[in-house]
Amino acid sequence: MTDVAKNPTVAGNDDSEGMDYLMTRRTRWVTVYLPLSVIVFILLFPFYWMTLTALKPNAELLDMNTTSPLWVADPTLSHILHVILETDYPIWMWNTMLVSVVATFISLVASVLAAYAIVRIRYKGAQWVGGLIFLAYLVPPSILFIPLSVIVHAYGLFDTPMALILTYPTILIPFSTWLLMGYFKTIPYELEECALMDGASRTQILMKIVLPLAVPGLISAGIFSFTLCWNEFIYALTFISTTSNKTVPVAMLSEFVDGDIYRWGSLMAGALLGSLPVAILYSFFVEHYVSSMTGAVKE
Amino acid sequence: MAESTLRSGTAEIPTPGLWSRLVHDRNWLGFWFMMPAAAILILFLTYPLGLGIWLSMTDASIGNPGKFIGLLNFYDKECYGPGDCELYGLFGDTVFWQSVWQTIFYTTFASVVKFAVGLYLALLLNNHMPFKAILRALILLPFIVPTVLSAIAFWWIYDAQFSIISWGLTKLGLIDVYIDFLGDPWNARWSLIFANIWRGVPFVAITLLAGLQTVPASLYEAATLDGANRWQMFRHVTFPVLTPIIAVVMTFSVLFTFTDFQLIWAITRGGPANATHLMATLSYQRAILGGNMGEGAAISTAMIPFLLAAIMVSWFGLQRRKWQQGETDD
Amino acid sequence: MDKKFTRRSVLKGTAATVAGAALVSSDFMDWSSAWAADAPFKPEAGAKLQVLRWKRFIQSEEDAFMEQVAAFTKATGIEVEVLNESLDDVQPKASVAVNVGSGPDLIWGYYSLPHLFPNKCTDLTDLADYLGGKYGGWVPAAETYGKSDDKWIGIPVCFGGNYINYRNSAIEKAGFKEVPQDLDGFLALCQGLKAGGMPAGMALGHATGDANAWVHWALWAHDAAMVDENDKVILNTPEAVAACEYVKKLYDAYIPGTASWNDGSNNKAFLAGEVGLTNNGISIYQKALVDGLDIKDDMDHAYYPVGPVGVPTEFHIAYPMLVPTYTKFPNAAKAFMAFLMEAEQYNRWLEGSVAYLTHSLNAFNDNPIWTSDPKRKIFAEAANRTLVAGYKGSVGQKSASAISEFIVVDMFANVATGQMSAKEAVADATKKARRIYR
Repeated sequence: MTDVAKNPTVAGNDDSEGMDYLMTRRTRWVTVYLPLSVIVFILLFPFYWMTLTALKPNAELLDMNTTSPLWVADPTLSHILHVILETDYPIWMWNTMLVSVVATFISLVASVLAAYAIVRIRYKGAQWVGGLIFLAYLVPPSILFIPLSVIVHAYGLFDTPMALILTYPTILIPFSTWLLMGYFKTIPYELEECALMDGASRTQILMKIVLPLAVPGLISAGIFSFTLCWNEFIYALTFISTTSNKTVPVAMLSEFVDGDIYRWGSLMAGALLGSLPVAILYSFFVEHYVSSMTGAVKE
Repeated sequence: MAESTLRSGTAEIPTPGLWSRLVHDRNWLGFWFMMPAAAILILFLTYPLGLGIWLSMTDASIGNPGKFIGLLNFYDKECYGPGDCELYGLFGDTVFWQSVWQTIFYTTFASVVKFAVGLYLALLLNNHMPFKAILRALILLPFIVPTVLSAIAFWWIYDAQFSIISWGLTKLGLIDVYIDFLGDPWNARWSLIFANIWRGVPFVAITLLAGLQTVPASLYEAATLDGANRWQMFRHVTFPVLTPIIAVVMTFSVLFTFTDFQLIWAITRGGPANATHLMATLSYQRAILGGNMGEGAAISTAMIPFLLAAIMVSWFGLQRRKWQQGETDD
Repeated sequence: MDKKFTRRSVLKGTAATVAGAALVSSDFMDWSSAWAADAPFKPEAGAKLQVLRWKRFIQSEEDAFMEQVAAFTKATGIEVEVLNESLDDVQPKASVAVNVGSGPDLIWGYYSLPHLFPNKCTDLTDLADYLGGKYGGWVPAAETYGKSDDKWIGIPVCFGGNYINYRNSAIEKAGFKEVPQDLDGFLALCQGLKAGGMPAGMALGHATGDANAWVHWALWAHDAAMVDENDKVILNTPEAVAACEYVKKLYDAYIPGTASWNDGSNNKAFLAGEVGLTNNGISIYQKALVDGLDIKDDMDHAYYPVGPVGVPTEFHIAYPMLVPTYTKFPNAAKAFMAFLMEAEQYNRWLEGSVAYLTHSLNAFNDNPIWTSDPKRKIFAEAANRTLVAGYKGSVGQKSASAISEFIVVDMFANVATGQMSAKEAVADATKKARRIYR
């Protein structure tokens, strides 16, 4: 519906356009900005709390009387500096990045091919294969990691980044495939038929026509995959042993929880440091949604 | 799944050479395209999935493969005397049944809210507004922060003594006793559901936002010319185009909520008094901490019918839609 | 900070190991080399060891541990890599390692970990006999945790004491000079603390360490138990109901919300001055000392009161170390443990652990740490006073299941939070216990 607002050249004196016109300013505050602020506030408050915790000196952490817990009276960078300079955080970050990027890449390639084959090539049994793929989710990771560890060990991958790079796609591929199938279906078939007539190969069609049109889907699948790798805990805990091979979530927990004493500042600093760059990175991708929509589909 | 693709040889292409058949034949082509995904899934998952189900029918413990005991992990009955019989196995296990209801409740409630709020947020974000890019990235933050760490943050936000929420409400004069977020069974359930929704909404919203971009503007133009109002446009233009994506995202959301582990484990560990145990956490507790692999595997096997149902609903929903579009003729 | 870097580098490899060893005094090195020369266990040629341990609760304990590791490497030439995981994550890692038959050569976990897979643990009887013979014998609990039938499958390297922590000012305000050693007096103290505005609080959530420690004390103190000597469930007794009713009264005197507490909650609340009494290891006191908090002068530790049963019924964590059968270097692993527990090292380590850990061999009763600070004194007896998981029954997989299921914790939590009456809760817990002990 907003495409209408965005595109005033869709000249029309009809109700809808007129409504949009009236809606400007005051109504917009009520229907858009107000609900949006409420949701954003709720979504970001825990995050604000984490930021505060990362900046609070230890003395202020548990003090709810002399200073307001909603603010930092005497902010300190010591937790953040501690995490960056005095731990292996940069290495963990690198490991996490490496694993996430490679696993995401593998998953996306595999999923694009599979989704395209199921939706467009439609070989015999494609429908069933599409359903079968999702069976990968039937046994939850919280118990699957035990039998899976046998496989990982048998392939000689234990305690290497490859153990994660190759097992994460098992969680990522089914979902990404289905998601991309959804997006591929929205692309008009006529475009491909024309290209096929012109003698283009399937691979060419996929690369030149389908993928550019499915960019929002690719971004969604990519964000999903990357974040899941980024977050994963059980496999990362059990398949990796050496401290220098660990990923951020696992390493943070073993480094900053001293038995029953939580080092709050450092824990939260680590969580923030890892998340902000990713958020900024995502902001570029997400912004791409709109600009990626070439005229082909719309007009 | 490889086998079905191997049976190639439709008669569409008149007897081409082997190479061109391998490259052009629809079934062979499908096979090549499916290869990478199939290879990873088959190489890594067939054995573990099979073993997972097999273990549920054994009395295996850690490091001990155990022996086949049939369905005794699920249903067993022992009589100590006439009329003094007790049910064992999961069937007679009150904690198991409790975890089943809690899992269903947790999943249903969290998924419905995630969908509703996610869709609403996607529609809101699809408006033009200042700082759109930054806003969209910020929205994703709850999804990005590693779950274990955000769970720890929530644990603190819900703390019995140091909860910022209780503090705020006290200062506002709304309550005078701190809320026992995680110590009361229902409070604990709602608190965890909220944390799960908090984590899940951003992804649903962003994916649906991406879906909104694929709605052809021409459809809106046509609808506008037909004099459709906003709700009608949403109902008859936006929603149908979004359906496949909604189906996929919600299937995913249901599956991952149903098997949620990290959040619960980090915040309550199933407490107070098992009030927040989900099937996944219970199976982990029994198998790994209690050393009872067979029973743990039985619990995760018991999840399969639910997961299968979620997958089927979504899959057949998608299929139906395909027929509607008349794509099957080809 | 220097120390920290050293510890870190030790983890990383040989070059740094030398730097780590440099910290160790030369006398000690001489002794180490001499020890290695006639070590009771001859390591395999070219042995390398990987040790999986729980992440330290006390920094100085870990420093002392790493010093010994460095000395061991220097003396024997065996490289040792130490992997740290938080206490609760040791078990999944150990499970995976034992399941695939590959992983760390030594695993250091808690409670009855070796009994979860007794067939997969190397027989350590020779080592246990050697150490026991040399150092005045094992405490009874160590023997129970270490042995499966007649075979030692783990070495209970130490115990972690868990005692009453209290604020002197708070109990004085409540009208007490010290923590009463009987149940009624203790309840009166908790009620007095509440009246004084600084209530007690003990974890009643799913907290592995703290919750299990005090609820088992309360159960056993009333002369109730989950099972008898033959592992027959005998929980459903009037004594257990009395225990539930007692805990309910305690809970009502506690600070609100303890049903949600985990192992870290009481540390936080105690340090922040929200509670005046809790149960914990020495980590709260140590944190107060290290951070220079005023609270250090206004707190002390006390034994748990003794109930109608007439004997102490404390329940402290055991930390057994085991050698999985898949290891290629069982002798090197034994040599490592022997080295660790020889008086020359073990004494230093105990000092480094500032009473967080208690020795399991009687000869270490006179370690200077136990007299260094009167507030640490009672922790010396933790290993001797503790009962074991399973109490009168076996210490094997079933008792581990019962603990991991939090059956006793939940029984009390159900009564305390008003979900069930004492009778119902006991019946419910009995049913759960029967399922496990079938």
